[in-house]
Amino acid sequence: MSRTLNVVRMQLINRNTYIWIPLLVLAGAFVLSLALYAIIPSEGIKVGGGAQAPLWYFLVVGVQALTLTFPFSQAMGVTRREFFVGTYLTAAVTAGILAAVFVVGGLIENATDGWGLNGWIFYLDWIWQAGPLGAFVFYFLLAMLFFSAGFWSATIYKRFGALWLTAILLAIAVAFVGVLWIIGRANAWGPVFDWLGSQGSLGLALWSLVIIAVLAATSFVPLRRAVP
Amino acid sequence: MSVAIEVQHLTKRYRQTVAVDDVSFSIEKDTIYGLLGRNGAGKTTVMSMLTAQNFATSGQIRVFGEHPYENARVLQRMCFVRESQKYPDDALPRHAFGTARLFFPNWDQALADRLVDEFQLPMKKTIKKLSRGQLSAVGVIIGLASRAEITFFDEPYLGLDAVARQIFYDRLIEDYSEHPRTIILSSHLIDEVANLLERVLVIDGGRIVLDERTDDIRDRAANIVGESRAVDAFVAGREVIHRESLGRVSSVTVLGTLSAEDHRQLSAAGLDVTPVSLQQLIVRTTQHAAESAPATTGEPADIDEGALR
Repeated sequence: MSRTLNVVRMQLINRNTYIWIPLLVLAGAFVLSLALYAIIPSEGIKVGGGAQAPLWYFLVVGVQALTLTFPFSQAMGVTRREFFVGTYLTAAVTAGILAAVFVVGGLIENATDGWGLNGWIFYLDWIWQAGPLGAFVFYFLLAMLFFSAGFWSATIYKRFGALWLTAILLAIAVAFVGVLWIIGRANAWGPVFDWLGSQGSLGLALWSLVIIAVLAATSFVPLRRAVP
Repeated sequence: MSVAIEVQHLTKRYRQTVAVDDVSFSIEKDTIYGLLGRNGAGKTTVMSMLTAQNFATSGQIRVFGEHPYENARVLQRMCFVRESQKYPDDALPRHAFGTARLFFPNWDQALADRLVDEFQLPMKKTIKKLSRGQLSAVGVIIGLASRAEITFFDEPYLGLDAVARQIFYDRLIEDYSEHPRTIILSSHLIDEVANLLERVLVIDGGRIVLDERTDDIRDRAANIVGESRAVDAFVAGREVIHRESLGRVSSVTVLGTLSAEDHRQLSAAGLDVTPVSLQQLIVRTTQHAAESAPATTGEPADIDEGALR
């Protein structure tokens, strides 16, 4: 176990990747959003997507966790399992910090009526319907989903190369379009939207756990045969 | 003599290319080995497989009696920093050493600090901005200070200046005599490391062509130096692998151990015997092996592991 925790410390060598850049992205998105809200003359509710920026960055974090640190971990005599578990643990810790920042930001936002500008970044009604804890889980799992997608792509790339990664992504896109087509064919859009609505943000976040688990499992298997 | 590594019928095939071809050998504990061979002979591939960084196509590997793959117990007793080692993006040398300290139980921080001074390694630059020699120094410092029971050095001298190379060789011998361990030094510059090596494994075209004690190899041949005619008379009928002449003086390298009778003849003829360089001997032996070996079925394994990543 201590070796797995040491993998966390190894990943966090790179403070820039895991801490400073996400915080900078977040601070930048926050300041820019507020500046835009201040410029907009309307008194109405102003909602922006600026808060998404650090979540997207987790995709990059997932890629870098593998490409930059896996070869070094091999020189340190780290097993592939220790690397995998330690790296996911690192992602969970940082995603937890990010989610906590979002929740604190949302609470402040709520208390100050959108920073006195009626501008909302963190506190989006549909995300917060299940309360602060629900919002925390939502943001945490969303960050983990982005991380898993990045880590998964990097592992497939490392193990099988760019051609296979592109082919697999294409296959997933084709399958997705196929599902949309089937829903349309069956005239089932109504029930689908009803179902999505009934899940709420927390329900959807918990469903993303399934995707995270699939991504994690399908990156662990090729990682076990990856060469630095 | 106890065995640290045991390898049987190890083969690594990349599509059409055979990088390592049915190789068997064992590595004794507390010995300095030279893993010698030309570029692309398969040295890095073999070391990668021994440390479970790469996978064998077939064959058996036992390190301390166990398979190293996903085996933390074994892996933490080995250190292999490859020649083209990658480091985390913004890592400073300090970060790399700090991490090595976490994972190698015998890590000696004082030794690492001392080596940083001696190699004049800039500690404020990120590793990706270091020169080739400084990058080699990072690998050498991790290798030495980790004091792993089996330590691999993969072409450790690349880019190091003469002074730095000498520091490496001196510290290696010094630390090895205080803390004996198994050291495997891969190199294509044979004479450069010859004095350090107790045993050599020569790999060529993915095969082991020589696995012997360095002293025994040196005894296999001798330089006969002296007046050309006397030298020619002595070497007549012997296997000559090299010949140099300057005026009426010749130096001829002959294969075979010299007997007491030979030595008597030599001194009677006023001829001198000098040792042969390991490099020359190995080059000749390798060429010999290549000529006498039956035509290989696969392509020549002149590929670098890095090219296949």
